[in-house]
Amino acid sequence: MNNFLDKIANLRETPLGSFVPVMIALVAIWIYFGINEPIFLSPRNFYYLFMQSAVVGTLAVGVTMVLLLGDIDLSIGAVAGVCAATLAVLTTNMGLYAPYAIIISLLFGAFLGCIMGAIIAYVKIPSFVVTLAGLLGFQGLMMKILGINGAINVRDPIIRSISTTTLPTTIGMVLAIIGVVLFGYLIIRNRSIRSKKNLENETNLVSAVKFLFFSILMIGATILLNLYKGVPILILILLALTFLLGWISTSTSYGRSIFAVGGNAESARRVGISIEFIKISAFGIVGFMAAVGGLIGASRYASVSFNAFAGGPLLLEAIGAAVIGGTSLFGGRGSVWNAILGALVIGSLGNGLDLSGARAADKLMFSGAILLIAVTLDAVSRKK
Amino acid sequence: MNNNTLDLGNTNSPNSLPHFVAKNIIKNFGGIKALNNLNFEVYRGEVMGLVGDNGAGKSTLMKAISGSQLCDSGTFMIDGEEVKISSPQDASKYGIQIVYQDLALCENLDIPANLFLGNEKKLFNYLRFIPNFLLPLDHLSMEESAIESMKNLKVSTIKSMQAKIGFLSGGQRQSIAIARAIKSDSSIVLLDEPTAALGVSQTKEVLDLVLRLKETNHAVVIISHNLNNVFEVCDRITVIRQGENVEVFDKLKSTPDQIVSAITRGT
Ligand SMILES: Nc1ncnc2c1ncn2[C@@H]1O[C@H](COP(=O)(O)OP(=O)(O)O)[C@@H](O)[C@H]1O
Ligand SMILES: [Mg+2]
Repeated sequence: MNNFLDKIANLRETPLGSFVPVMIALVAIWIYFGINEPIFLSPRNFYYLFMQSAVVGTLAVGVTMVLLLGDIDLSIGAVAGVCAATLAVLTTNMGLYAPYAIIISLLFGAFLGCIMGAIIAYVKIPSFVVTLAGLLGFQGLMMKILGINGAINVRDPIIRSISTTTLPTTIGMVLAIIGVVLFGYLIIRNRSIRSKKNLENETNLVSAVKFLFFSILMIGATILLNLYKGVPILILILLALTFLLGWISTSTSYGRSIFAVGGNAESARRVGISIEFIKISAFGIVGFMAAVGGLIGASRYASVSFNAFAGGPLLLEAIGAAVIGGTSLFGGRGSVWNAILGALVIGSLGNGLDLSGARAADKLMFSGAILLIAVTLDAVSRKK
Repeated sequence: MNNNTLDLGNTNSPNSLPHFVAKNIIKNFGGIKALNNLNFEVYRGEVMGLVGDNGAGKSTLMKAISGSQLCDSGTFMIDGEEVKISSPQDASKYGIQIVYQDLALCENLDIPANLFLGNEKKLFNYLRFIPNFLLPLDHLSMEESAIESMKNLKVSTIKSMQAKIGFLSGGQRQSIAIARAIKSDSSIVLLDEPTAALGVSQTKEVLDLVLRLKETNHAVVIISHNLNNVFEVCDRITVIRQGENVEVFDKLKSTPDQIVSAITRGT
């Protein structure tokens, strides 16, 4: 048994090991529902599946940054709600020009995150507790901001357009093709530089699988979305932010420090990394992403209500998505891209079960089972 | 036993000053006198063993020298000049590097990442408007340097630079911890029980590494419980007991039995 567990742990460390499990889960879900509920694979349903997964995906990408530190943020849903409520008050009630209101609410989210990060870093209270307090407190704050009605409509055309606008189909396709070509070019260029410098290269198979996977997903998704309305701007924003955070976390010394603190905080401290700065800024990033999630939510529902953001589901789905994507709850391992895949797994599961007329009870139990499998994989992959 | 080698100096360079000297070091933990007027010295090109029973104060002395835990009083001198060491940054500024007993590597990161942690190579350094910590990492050149320094240390068992530290053997990890300590312009390398957790062949790897540090004119200090290892690589051996100096032995003029007796009975 231990031998078997070791094998899994080693597999997960291979170049494809981190995202293959979540890919298999996603494809399996798509095939299963595709066969049983033909509507599931229709362009229209896919479009809504992507839109539904966008808020969870945004929060999941954000929370990945602190999961990498070995911390957790339970307040993301509530911060998203507070920021959405702020946005609604600023635009609907006070008539502020939407772009200003958006900037203010995003900065407010980052600010709330930084405050919690500072308490965690300096007072040294576990993030679990601080953000739990944040969850409760910000839910209250959201109620206060929303006032007696508990909901504010958002009719501002600029904010609405974020979720209603789609790219013209040709432009969407051209962008996807440019993305694929660029990705292929980078792989080839990297390989040739590495072999010129006599550095080890990943095998042809790994490069090919990576490329194929990426291009099929990009082109396939674009075709499907184009068959209905086109690629939503919203998805583009989410991809751009994920790209940025993915790049920061893997290709800058800041990102390196995040992984180092998550892996061995004492080691990071000894080489002179400021753990305080890393924690405060990482929680700031989560707060910012939560605010983006709030903005997307406000735009999609055309209103901000207490029920849409408060309570468990949004928060748990976001953290679940990150973990299903292969980000470790123990810190030091994971990726923001996988969080998007994880969000799609949760979204697809919910959407498919809805189509097959499953009850809320079944949905919860299925989600729980998938999350349990993901966490088990995580614990097993953790080397002694 | 009349060989008080404190005065004998180093056999390699009898006339020179010790590279590093710690004088009258005192450190108390509450009522415990962990270090009581301790003296210590090491020359360049010398491997100095530091031995003593559990709780003798070896690790405490190491931490004081490397600035990670300050002593209550005492002075440090490098090449005859007094220096103030009050943080790990100070120590590394003076070329003092320590390989901790607990290694302090990040198991989730690969070899180059660990070697350059906190000191990464970056691209586009001339772009002043981007904060330093957001500049792109120069992955390739860090990987090349990592290969280079593994080669210099003649560590040949590591197959892939992209291996996560958590998947390497104890000896390989120790080699990487040592490589990290010496890649910068360090002159004093402190090793706290570097072979404690290792098997026979891995121990040999690490001891070979220690000898290579000596060849490259580092002042090397090695703590070990294993007297065979100590006699294999050290030139001199400082014995301490309950925080006090017992004696400094010249390896060529002493036997393991003498050392054991000094460790346990203080004579
Ligand atoms: N942080 C500490 N707090 C209290 N006592 C300590 C601490 N560190 C070391 N000591 C005590 O100081 C003495 C020397 O310890 P140490 O330097 O770790 O010994 P060695 O490394 O030689 O085994 C021991 O009596 C130990 O219990
Ligand atoms: Mg010790």
